[in-house]
Amino acid sequence: MLDVRAWLLWALTALVAASSTRNPLYIVLLLLITAVVGIVCAVGRAGNPPYVPLRFAAVAVPLAALFNGLTAHLGDTVLFRLPDWLPLLGGPVTLEALVFGATNGLTLTVIFSGFAVFNQVTPVHDLVRLVPRAFHEAGIVLSIALTFIPQTTRSLARIREAQAARGHRVRGLRDWLPILVPLLVSGLERSIGLAEAMVARGYGAISDRDNPPRYAWSLALGLMALLGGWLAYLFLPSWKGIALGALLVGAGLIVGVLWLAGRAVPHTAYRTHRWTTRDTLVVLGCGGTLAVALMNREALYYSPYPRLTLPPFDPLIGLGLLGLLAPAWGVAGGQDGGA
Amino acid sequence: MNTRRVVSGLIYALGVSVSLLAFLYPFLGGGASHDGHAPLVATALVGLALVALLVELQGQAVGAKTIATLGVLVAITSVLRFVEVAVPVPGGFSPIFAPIILAGYVFGGRFGFLMGAFTLLVSALITGGVGPWLPYQMFAAGWVGLTAGWLKRISNLRALKTGEWGLEIALLSVFGFLWGLLYGAIMNIYFWPFAVGPVEQTWTPGIGLGETLARYGAFYVVTSLGWDLTRAVGNVALILLLGAPTVRALARFQRRFHFEVRPANA
Repeated sequence: MLDVRAWLLWALTALVAASSTRNPLYIVLLLLITAVVGIVCAVGRAGNPPYVPLRFAAVAVPLAALFNGLTAHLGDTVLFRLPDWLPLLGGPVTLEALVFGATNGLTLTVIFSGFAVFNQVTPVHDLVRLVPRAFHEAGIVLSIALTFIPQTTRSLARIREAQAARGHRVRGLRDWLPILVPLLVSGLERSIGLAEAMVARGYGAISDRDNPPRYAWSLALGLMALLGGWLAYLFLPSWKGIALGALLVGAGLIVGVLWLAGRAVPHTAYRTHRWTTRDTLVVLGCGGTLAVALMNREALYYSPYPRLTLPPFDPLIGLGLLGLLAPAWGVAGGQDGGA
Repeated sequence: MNTRRVVSGLIYALGVSVSLLAFLYPFLGGGASHDGHAPLVATALVGLALVALLVELQGQAVGAKTIATLGVLVAITSVLRFVEVAVPVPGGFSPIFAPIILAGYVFGGRFGFLMGAFTLLVSALITGGVGPWLPYQMFAAGWVGLTAGWLKRISNLRALKTGEWGLEIALLSVFGFLWGLLYGAIMNIYFWPFAVGPVEQTWTPGIGLGETLARYGAFYVVTSLGWDLTRAVGNVALILLLGAPTVRALARFQRRFHFEVRPANA
């Protein structure tokens, strides 16, 4: 099983690669890659639905093509004309606009597909483990919420059954009132019980857990640097170097506080995941894809306007994009029980 | 007012300002916003401002009661998100905004911000909605809860004392309607610079504030208004039906949370 950080990098790489091009050939290749990874790594795991991005594509691609075709009246290959008196829609509907719209739909599908695979293959507790240690209280809220969700779902079912036994039927929005108010009240009662149990077990007893004042000052200074840097970046082009410097200082201060505050929180982990060779392979594969996507902006560029032509395809770029297949390698080779 | 509260207020104001300016950069017609890196820098700023605000705000939610209540309310609201995912509901209707508004209204802006942000985070984790849009959703939902807390200053929960709910529920309904539209309008902004389409609806750097607003308005009306109207009307319907009993229940528990037993000699 891959490390959640390797999966996160994979999803972000798919996002960057898909956003870097409007060439339909590369986008279809990326869609195929995410589909293969999704089918090999995610489908078949307990509780996972069938590969959902195909349903997304079935809606997004025709809709995007239709929207762009009807509203962007550019391109030489006119298919038909809509009356000029129609606001926004009036004018020629061209093949080029339909193709460009469909390509945008495909791009959205690749992004959705990448994160759909990420959501399917990463267990929720692994994602929660990514929460920085400085978010101690936030992490507790997150854990409580995730723990209480099954209880809340059971409570909802029990309250519905109890109301149904009394002859209550849900026909409209108003009929949810006798269900939702008891759900809220019982949840709040449970929260009081939980708070008492937390206090009884010593939660909040250690007063020196509170962050020192210098952290608050550092956060305020960091935000000030970000604000000043961003304003200079936007309005003073000749100060770009200073603006970027201020932004880096601000980011450094905030990340520094996060790190220092995190060090003060004792942390124990049960069954930690060990970084494996497969994780490293995924990082290398994503690195190759990122390098191709970021260093070949001109080669990746394609526009169907003014007249539709066959998009170019560079095999070396295609090979670089195949780096995103890395998560499927080990699984296909039988090294992982995920499939 | 002690220094810690001043610094806390400063972080609060700066965090909101940085995130607002990062969200709204397409409307700020400065020269350097024209370069291709501005969207990436804006995304990083939203993430950093969210981190800074969460570090500061969570420090004020250290009490076990607050943490437990926040966790349980987030769980209940996240379960409601299942309804949105599982049952086909019209347009952008989502049952999660009314609870965020009501909780922010009763427990205050900071609690509301945390409730909004965590509800979107937890519901994304359980419904498979984690993606690059999540920090923006957390911020926008956080603002819904944060601003709901400001309403309390206007009404001061008067209906709980007088028993006349009309004005208070009307206020909350208008607020829910406005946020139903505003949430969609805010969430569009982060991807609008990347959107492609007719020239009169797309972002072009350096065209000035008036023209940018006109183009965004046209883009919003064509792509989102109908969708967002269902969310706005849904918020109003939920607040009209569930507002008064929910506020009563939350306010009753808020009083219980503030109950403390102290030794006689303390």
